[in-house]
Parts: sequence; structure tokens; C-alpha cells
Amino acid sequence: MRSWAGNLSGSSLIHPQRTSIHPGERSDCRKIAGQVGLAGSQFATQYIKSQNGKPHFYEKPVVESFEEAPLHVMVFTYMGYGIGTLFGYLRDFLRNSGIEKCNAAVEREEQKDFVPLYQNFENFYTRNIYMRIRDNWNRPICSAPGALFDVMERVSDDYNWTFRFTGRIIKDVINMGSYNFLGLAVRYDESMRTVKDVLEEYGVGVASTRHEMGTLNKHKELEDLVAQFLNVEAAMVFGMGFATNSMNIPALVGKGCLILSDELNHASLVLGARLSGATIRIFKHNNMQSLEKLLRDAVIYGQPRTRRAWKKILIMVEGVYSMEGSIVNLPQIVALKKKYKAYLYIDEAHSIGSVGPTGRGVVEFFGMDPQDVDVFMGTFTKSFGAAGGYIAGRKEFHSQGAPRMSRSSPADSAEEQDLVDYLRVHSHSAVYATSMSPPIAEQIIRSMKFIMGLDGTTEGLKRVQQLAKNTRYFRQRLNEMGFIIYGNEESPVVPLLLYMPGKVAAFARHLLNRKIGVVVVGFPATPLAEARARFCISAAHTREMLDTVLEALDEMGDLLHLKYSRNKKSARPELYDETSFELDD
Amino acid sequence: MATAAEQWVLVEMVQALYEAPAYHLILEGILILWIIRLLFSKTYKLQERSDLTVKEKEELIEEWQPEPLVPPISKDHPALNYNIVSGPPSHSIVVNGKECINFASFNFLGLLDNPRVKAAALASLKKYGVGTCGPRGFYGTFDVHLDLEDRLAKFMKTEEAIIYSYGFATIASAIPAYSKRGDIVFVDRAACFAIQKGLQASRSNIKLFEHNDMADLERLLKEQEIEDQKNPRKARVTRRFIVVEGLYMNTGTICPLPELVQLKYKYKARIFLEESLSFGVLGEHGRGVTEHFGINIDDIDLISANMENALASIGGFCCGRSFVIDHQRLSGQGYCFSASLPPLLAAAAIEALNIMEENPGITFEPRKSDCRLH
Repeated sequence: MRSWAGNLSGSSLIHPQRTSIHPGERSDCRKIAGQVGLAGSQFATQYIKSQNGKPHFYEKPVVESFEEAPLHVMVFTYMGYGIGTLFGYLRDFLRNSGIEKCNAAVEREEQKDFVPLYQNFENFYTRNIYMRIRDNWNRPICSAPGALFDVMERVSDDYNWTFRFTGRIIKDVINMGSYNFLGLAVRYDESMRTVKDVLEEYGVGVASTRHEMGTLNKHKELEDLVAQFLNVEAAMVFGMGFATNSMNIPALVGKGCLILSDELNHASLVLGARLSGATIRIFKHNNMQSLEKLLRDAVIYGQPRTRRAWKKILIMVEGVYSMEGSIVNLPQIVALKKKYKAYLYIDEAHSIGSVGPTGRGVVEFFGMDPQDVDVFMGTFTKSFGAAGGYIAGRKEFHSQGAPRMSRSSPADSAEEQDLVDYLRVHSHSAVYATSMSPPIAEQIIRSMKFIMGLDGTTEGLKRVQQLAKNTRYFRQRLNEMGFIIYGNEESPVVPLLLYMPGKVAAFARHLLNRKIGVVVVGFPATPLAEARARFCISAAHTREMLDTVLEALDEMGDLLHLKYSRNKKSARPELYDETSFELDD
Repeated sequence: MATAAEQWVLVEMVQALYEAPAYHLILEGILILWIIRLLFSKTYKLQERSDLTVKEKEELIEEWQPEPLVPPISKDHPALNYNIVSGPPSHSIVVNGKECINFASFNFLGLLDNPRVKAAALASLKKYGVGTCGPRGFYGTFDVHLDLEDRLAKFMKTEEAIIYSYGFATIASAIPAYSKRGDIVFVDRAACFAIQKGLQASRSNIKLFEHNDMADLERLLKEQEIEDQKNPRKARVTRRFIVVEGLYMNTGTICPLPELVQLKYKYKARIFLEESLSFGVLGEHGRGVTEHFGINIDDIDLISANMENALASIGGFCCGRSFVIDHQRLSGQGYCFSASLPPLLAAAAIEALNIMEENPGITFEPRKSDCRLH
């Protein structure tokens, strides 16, 4: 069975089709046809074997939208920041001249003549704008971060410089902020008994690195299970997701290599790329033309100035981007990668367990072959309710373009390369950092078995499907209401655009009063003018909870005038998508 | 002369033309012709971009072969035949099926299999589950974390403490939060790998001094002082840091902290102390190298340690004055962009800290056995 992506190796640039755009609007809806119609060439729908053995083909068109806000909104947003800045200067002046008491911590008397630790302007934004609305972040909770959680009430007597806890707890707040996609982060129940047993037997800490005494049999078990889950040959686990990226990318690429990284990659990927010493070039978010241009220039012209060929080219993307809610355009990237012989590193922190029919990530979502991706990376924090990260891939694989060696001939075994074995030897984490804690490893084993159905029930699969249902429902209702939502229709991360800094604070505070916990994000995690609220849908959310939230959002939208979208869908969208109508008997 | 220039008439100009000397006219004529030529000639670039044809480009793309993603590894590399530990990694450990005495783990206070620690972790597991599902800024802050930070700050007698979810990431995120491009960091040659990565991420100027050699450090500081006098404006904005470890992982020696503090005030550099191995081991109550030498803890700007050695948990913390530590809450990469420490690990650390406070004698044990070995 040929993978259909292989057909594209000889073709020219692949253009995403554009849907029809309403006049007077500058929205950017992209319809990425998954099967046929790419660049006008005719393909038969290919059957591709998926992980659980049943053939499945990718047929639904993928819709992503990043609508632009009306002009007046942008004007007011910048004005808001401008006024905040002016007041910031005023307050700084008052504080410096002693008219206003300064609540911030100050340097020690003995060290006043040292070079100042912080430049004044570095902290300008923090002091003057962030400090005003600081109560919307770092909210402490005191229960498991499930679908409902308890938030500790805190108040500030001095305009957010210090907080004090009143002692009251706001109970049963609906949790729309934590990354709990499959609802596995719950307080202890009998199904977690194995975790309790492992904790009692092994203790909590490990106190050693992987190369020394830190490789427990639990780690081996977990690594085998991860490899089975992703349908790859081998995997290696690490104690922290952030550190997985920052410590393994330098082991894979070095000076003389090229990294092509998406604009909106996570800080850990950026840090890993910087620490590796390779040259980094950035392509526009999910934009295949930009990526292709960079690839062509890299292969044709080589390294700058010396014109030597690059040693290797690594494309770094994420499965689901957490701030945009978009899903990577995997089929086209794989096609480009095969044509230009680059390597693909995909960070599935948000997509593992949450997209795909059985929760195996973006590769399953697009119905592609896991052999096409060179390095799978992911974290266990989001869908598995634990902590840590993994890197998985082929145990042995062949460099791009070289003829496939048969496994049977022993003379060729020297040519095969082992990704995971290489990382076991050379990863910075394996040599210098502690390995994963045993009860956490057991929790991951338990939840992975649950999702895969190895515990004997179909509960795991039901949860994945429930998540997909919840996602679709939530996004559809928000679109109907007229909010601007970014991202892919199927992604469980839903950013709702707020734009103005004042609205950001009002939104979060009002919703907490109604016992709904949301996450709002502003600069510098997002562009300055695009502050947003980010909802993370969970399989543990019931329809009632989602309806409560949607009702509250509807009211907030009217109160704060947040319904900026210009293409309100009809209130009865099911009439569009249905192709067959079932008649009542 | 202005009025005379205004009154120039065409006739007079033509007359001037006739009366001009011949060489002058010829020169002007040549110049005019040259200008016209330049105006109409094609522009040329100094660096010819190779104008490859499309066919040549396709050929180049076909021909290029990258290196393999990873080079081949010999199958009998020792790291591939790792020792598998079955069962708890405590003082007596089962490696590859054989039971051995454990001299390899950093389990200094023997708290890895302490029943109280396990009970505390279990209680936390029952209440909170395992994971925190979010970074500290987005509902990942649990009351356990706030408790642990409080306790650590009180134990170390500093104003504030901040917790990271991984020991390696602690110092590797703390250094780049303060030291940026253009700042100067004086670091010991035997510094551990995490410090090296932190320094690399910070892009500052690194100056290495010989291991535990204060004379060498003073020499470097003096040189820097001379540099500063040449350019006082730049010196006023260049921050200086000295990064040392309490107990060096690579050599096992203790840093000479009193001399360092003297140098700090003399040359106006800030000290970052990495106490992963000395926390819980040195000092009367286990507070580390500052207690060991009897130095006021406020003299050290930042103390960073990981909880994976003495506290038998996972994670790390930094402590110091609020002025210094608070900055990391927004600019420590491993803090802001990573999920928070699972509560059961935090509860285990709190209980281990309780045990340390209740029996301060526990910290003498490793030193006694150390003397016997030596």
C-alpha cells in the first residue's frame, strides 16, 4: 500500500485551496483538502493502514480559521496600551520622586552601589500593566485539577502588589483552564491502586541519573508501552517535558546543521534549538510556501558565505499549537520533507491523547504512517495526568534517499542508525539529570493502558470520542454566538480573542465570580494586540457544564462587547453538514 | 555678483561658449558624453548571485544527501547495556537481579524509603491525584507548592523561595533570567553541566577561573576592573556574577565561600550559589555551605538547589531575597513554560524537610561515614 504522500514527491508546490470569502471581509479560512484535489492532480482515495489495523482514509476537509478583528477594535486596543503606558510613566515618576510609596522589593543597602540587577525599562510592562491585572494568573487551587476544582480565594489590599488569602475556598469551579483533555487528573480512586502500590514499594525519589542507578524496571516497562502506543519501534522517557526538548535537540543537531522552526513554536523548542548551536530559520506559522522556499534555498545555496552543503536539515513543528489552536499541516510537511530529504521533529505535547480517532496524535488524525515522522516527542502532562516527556522513533532507520537495506543481511547492519539508542547514550538528560519518579511512571502506564483498552474496557476510547464531541459542540456554539475563535475545528484548545487588556481582566474576574475558571493570556505569550482567553476542553466536561459555561460566555460577550466575528454561522448548522436526513418513523 | 548672475542672457552665454578655450570645451563634451553613457548603461551588482536555471536547481535538490540523523552506535556501548534496578533504589539495591549495597545514588540522608515520606506522598496522592495539568500561571499552583516554598524559605532563613519541577532545570533557568547578553559571569572551571547549559542559554561573556583558586578569580576580576575604567559608561550597565557550587559534583570539594564574599564586595559582583549536593549535608542543620562557614545568608544573592539528593524527592528550588527571586516568576523559563511539580512530590519534600528539622543529627551521618571511608 503506497502512502499517498509519496505521490507528491515529484510534483511542484502544493497550494491550499481557499474557500470563498465574503466581500468586505478579511478573514482567512483555509480549507486543506486531505485527499484529492491537491494542486489539481487526481489521486484515488488511498487506503492507509492505521495503528489498530483497520484501514481508514482521511476524508474530511480540515478547516482552520484566523479571522481578523475589525479595525476599530485594533485601534482601541493600541489606544488602551498607549494610555496604560502613559499612566505607567506617570506612576514611575511619582514613585521615583517619592510622592507615591513604592511597594516593590528593593535592593539591599549594602549592595546599592552594585550595577542594578534589572534595567528599568525591562520591567516597565511588568510593573505598570501586568501588575494591575495580576490577580488573574497564578490562582492557587486546593483540589485535583479535574472538571471541577476548588480555588482558594485571595484578595489584595494594595492593588495586586501583595495578596492575602481570606481562608475561604470557592468550591466546584468549572475548570476550563487545565490541560486535562481526557479527564484523567482526578483524586484517588480504586483504579489508581497500582500507583499507590508502586509508591509504597519504590518510594518517591530516584536520586540518580539514567546512566547510573536510575534506570528502574518501571522505566523499561513504560518505554515499551509508549513505543507500542505510538506504533513506533522504541521510545525513551524523561522526567520533565520542557527538559526533553531542551536537552535532546542539542544531541541530534549541532553546528553546521539547519533547523527550520515554526514561528509559534514553544519556548522549550526554541531553547533546545539555540542550545544546539545550529542555524535557525523561521517559517511563517503553518505556511507551506514559506517552508518550501526556505527548504529550496537551503538545499540549493547551502550554508551562508561558505556555500558548503548543510549537514542535515531538521524541521521542527508542533502537533497542536497551544496559543492558536491550530493543527499542523502534516501531509504537506511530510511531502516536502521527502522531496527535500529533511528530517521531521514533531512536538506532540498537546496533541497526544487528544486528537485522532483513538488518541494517538496528529499522525493518526491525518491517517498517515508513523514511519514518515523521524522524531516523535511528547509530554505526559496534558492527556495522561502525570508529568514528564518522551522521545520516540525508529530504533533503526535509514537516512533519507539511501536505498532501503534489507534487515536480513548482516553486512548492512552497520549502516542502520538507532535514534533511541543514540539518545540513550548521548542525551544530556540521560547523563546528567534524574530519571522519572516511579509512581509517576506507574500513573502513565496505567493511563496509557486505559486509553489503549489494555485494561479490558473500552472506557478509554469512549473518553477520546467524548473529547472530540465536546470539542465540536463547544466550538460550534461559540462560532454561532459570534466570537472570534482561532484554530482548527478539531483542536481541543480553543482561543477566544479578547484583544483589549481591560477586557482581559474583566473577563477572567467576572467568570470567576460565576464559578468558572478560565485562563487568559496576554503579551508576551501572544502578540501585543491579540490577548485571548484559552479554553481547554476535557472529556470529563459534561454537557451541562459546557452549557453553563456557554451561557455565561454569552452574557459576558454581550456585557463586554466581545462578539466581533463577522461571519456568524446559522443557529442550525446541522442542516448544512447533514447529507442524509433520517425521517422519523 | 548675484544681480549679475540674474542678468545672464542666452546671447551672452553663447558668446562665452565661443570665447572659451578649446581644451575646456573638449573636456566638457567628453564629460557630458560619459554621463549619458552611464545613465543608459545597465546596472551591475558587485556580487553575482548565481543565476541557476530551474533544471540545475532541481538537479541540486536531487543530488544533495544529508548526513544520517544520528550516527551509528556500537551495540556494546556501556550505556546501552544499562543496569536495571528492580525495586526501590535505597541503601540496599537490587541491580540486574543481584542485591548490592548502594554507593551510587545521591541518597544522602536515606530518606528515599522513609515511611513518613511515603505516607505524606500517599496522602497527597489521595487528595490531588498525580499530575497538575498546567504551568504555575494557569491553575497549576497548588496550596502544597505554596506551603513548600514557605517552608523552604523559612528553613533557609531567606525571604522567598521558588520551586521548579525538575532539578536540572532549576539552575539552568535561573542563570539566564538574570544574566543576559553583554553581562559577565565568572564561573569555576569544574562547574556542573546544568550550570554550563544555563550559561550557554544566557549568551553572556563567560570567564572561567581555575577550580577553587581565589587568586585566579581575583586576577580576572582585576582585569575586568581595568577594562571598566576604560569604558565607564558600559561598565555602569554590565552586570557581574560569580557562579560557584557549594559542593562540586565533579570534584567533591567545597568552595571557599568566605573569600568569595570578600571578593564580592570588593569588586561588586553578585554570587549565585548552587547547593545541590551540599543542601542537607553541610552545616549544622543542613542549611548548606553558608551555615557550614557561618556566613550571613543575605550575602549570597541566589541559592539554588535540587531536591533530588538530600530531600529524596524530585524538583529544585531557588531561595534568596524577594527582590531577586520574584523576577524568576515571570522570566524563569523552566518555571513559566513548564507544568508545575506534581503535588505528591512536593508533599514528600515537605515531610523530608520536617524530618530534617526534627532531627538535625541526621545530617552528621553522611559526614561520619565519609570520614571513615577516606
